[in-house]
Amino acid sequence: MGKMERFAFVALVAGILFFLFADFISWALPMFVLKDIPKKSVEDLAAEAISRNSTAWSDFKKLARYYPETFKKFCQYEESFSGAKKIPESECKPNGKTLAKALRIGHRWYVAEGCWNCHSQMVRPVSNETLRFGIPGVSNTVSYPSEYNNELQAPVLWGTKRVGPDLIREAAVHNVGWQAAHLYNPKYTSPGTNMPPYPWYYTKDSKGNIVPNERGLSLLTYIMWLGSWEVKPPKDFRINVKASNSAKVKENTEKNFAEAK
Amino acid sequence: MATNSQELQNLVNYGLVKAHVAMGLVFFIIVATMGFLYSLQLDDIYPFVGIEFLSPGRVRMIHTAGAAYGFLVNMFTGLLYWAVPRFTGYRILSDKLGWFMFFALQAAVLITVIGVLFLGMADNVEWGETPWWLDPIIVFWLLLHLMQFGAPLFKASQRGPLYVAGWYISAMLVWTPLVVFMGNMIPRFWAVGSGAGAVQSTFIHDLVGLYVTPVAWGLMYYFVPVIMKKPMWSHGLSLLGFWGLAFFYPMNGVHHFLWSPIPMFAQYSAVFATVAVEFAVTSVLINFMMTLRGSAEQLKYNVPLRYMYTGAIFYWITCFQCAFHVTLTFQKVIHFTDWVTGHAHLIMFGTFGLWVLGMAEYIWPRLFRKETMYSKGLSEGAYWLLMIGVLSMFFDLTAGGLVQGFDWIGLNPWIDSVNFSKPFWYFRSIAGIMMITGLLMYALNFWKTATAKTGLSAELRTET
Repeated sequence: MGKMERFAFVALVAGILFFLFADFISWALPMFVLKDIPKKSVEDLAAEAISRNSTAWSDFKKLARYYPETFKKFCQYEESFSGAKKIPESECKPNGKTLAKALRIGHRWYVAEGCWNCHSQMVRPVSNETLRFGIPGVSNTVSYPSEYNNELQAPVLWGTKRVGPDLIREAAVHNVGWQAAHLYNPKYTSPGTNMPPYPWYYTKDSKGNIVPNERGLSLLTYIMWLGSWEVKPPKDFRINVKASNSAKVKENTEKNFAEAK
Repeated sequence: MATNSQELQNLVNYGLVKAHVAMGLVFFIIVATMGFLYSLQLDDIYPFVGIEFLSPGRVRMIHTAGAAYGFLVNMFTGLLYWAVPRFTGYRILSDKLGWFMFFALQAAVLITVIGVLFLGMADNVEWGETPWWLDPIIVFWLLLHLMQFGAPLFKASQRGPLYVAGWYISAMLVWTPLVVFMGNMIPRFWAVGSGAGAVQSTFIHDLVGLYVTPVAWGLMYYFVPVIMKKPMWSHGLSLLGFWGLAFFYPMNGVHHFLWSPIPMFAQYSAVFATVAVEFAVTSVLINFMMTLRGSAEQLKYNVPLRYMYTGAIFYWITCFQCAFHVTLTFQKVIHFTDWVTGHAHLIMFGTFGLWVLGMAEYIWPRLFRKETMYSKGLSEGAYWLLMIGVLSMFFDLTAGGLVQGFDWIGLNPWIDSVNFSKPFWYFRSIAGIMMITGLLMYALNFWKTATAKTGLSAELRTET
């Protein structure tokens, strides 16, 4: 037993060997299992959102339309920590470059504000979470590995505590306007909430309206991006209506039309 | 082992011990205040609404990262400067290096505070919220820490087997830089998504399990026999406890993300390893309780020893609780709830907090050549406030966590779970006030002891 009680033995066996063995089981092997899932950069995510015409893309265009003054300032905005660079005026419109920039800045401030201290980003397959955080028929999937394999989830933002609800399916739950009002003062939209207000993400535009500033616009883009890959495209974008559904769709349309009358 | 007090004084650098322990206490009060501020946000009575750099989310990160680097690292390093030279019989590597490390550590904590509060440069690794560019510097600091304390341990083990405390501290010295490197660098630059989640969960757990736990048990194995003036009950149990912990503890991490997209084999292995750790922990606890046998009356008047045994019992409660709530069944209800917060506070404050306070209270009068602390009343009052405060917070949050968990499963409107939690959160803030008051009393006692003009005598004074 004498040898076991020496510095070198403890340092080598317990300190290094046991540690490496545990790391092998705990994360090296899981990483090996997941290695074939492609890793996406922020630019990839932006390109994907545009090509699939996801709600992240349409919401980003909405933000640019609602807040044109902020959007101009947003193109000029620079940040070394998140690597966001200036965008020349000729390209200052909703495109892959600006969307990627907004996601980067938004993610940086989402982390910096500690949003992840109270909002998780993981829907578990138990405890009715798929029912609570998804919208049945629109997005009710449980979290799966490939949706996290991107630059904005390194380190991953699953979180360990919920005070507020989960956000990984948020795109299907609230729209941009709701989010903008909510972030300015959560009590406007959610009476009784104990979420703090974030007025420093807002500024006054030339008409005196309170609008999101550069960081606020990015943060809203990031929040609206969460889960946008699970939201089915808007109705007018759906080209094919399956034969089995068409009768139902027709019936519903007629019913809605009659009600509207 | 040196017996002469002059030799002992040459062995230990008193200045370094004093500086680290004092800064550790200062940061303990600061991070406890930060936690209290954050709890006010949960109560919806936050006093600094709309101030960007005092946003509750940022304050919470100072609470966690500050507890790790400001409070625990300072305290433990200070206590190691006292304990390691004394049980190995050799001085630390270099006093100059020690002072450099002291200032470097305070600078790192200060940079973290500025980075997180004012510059928005946090990192979303829980317990590793330090800006990512600071992490390599912390790893370098931990390598210096390895050399500083590795030197006396290595020299002593040339002469013969190391004492139990030495095993824990040797292993910790190697583990800590590896853990900090792994947890902060790999999820950012190499792994993404679920792989990163697996690394982060391993980090959350390893910083507790491979830094805080071994250094704290190492110090316990030194201080408890010294205070009671008798050896540990069983050497075999010491061996069993150490090697059980060393083998199973590093594998526990993934239990922080059960039911997540991490492959199930990793989740199952974490559950099994966690249950296995409880056996190792129980063997350690049996060893300490049997050592106490026959000396239990010392707990009545020896406050440092009482801190240590209270912490040890809390440690066992936490680990016993862990063996159950780590199962996938319990996780359905309690994951993401305040149950986990209560568990974390009982282990960090109730166990490690009380331990370092007890150890610091034992060495503090000795550092200033006093026989006893300034005030017995302050000392006792602080103990009871801290102990009752943390225990009531633990029960409160555990109950609150169950309410939240079942409310979420019941698919009630989200705001219901907030409203139902309010009474628990109010009570938690009150427990927080108790704990901070206890800490302030403790700090006052420290201040008075250090600055007392007359040598405080341990003998009973007769009032004139």
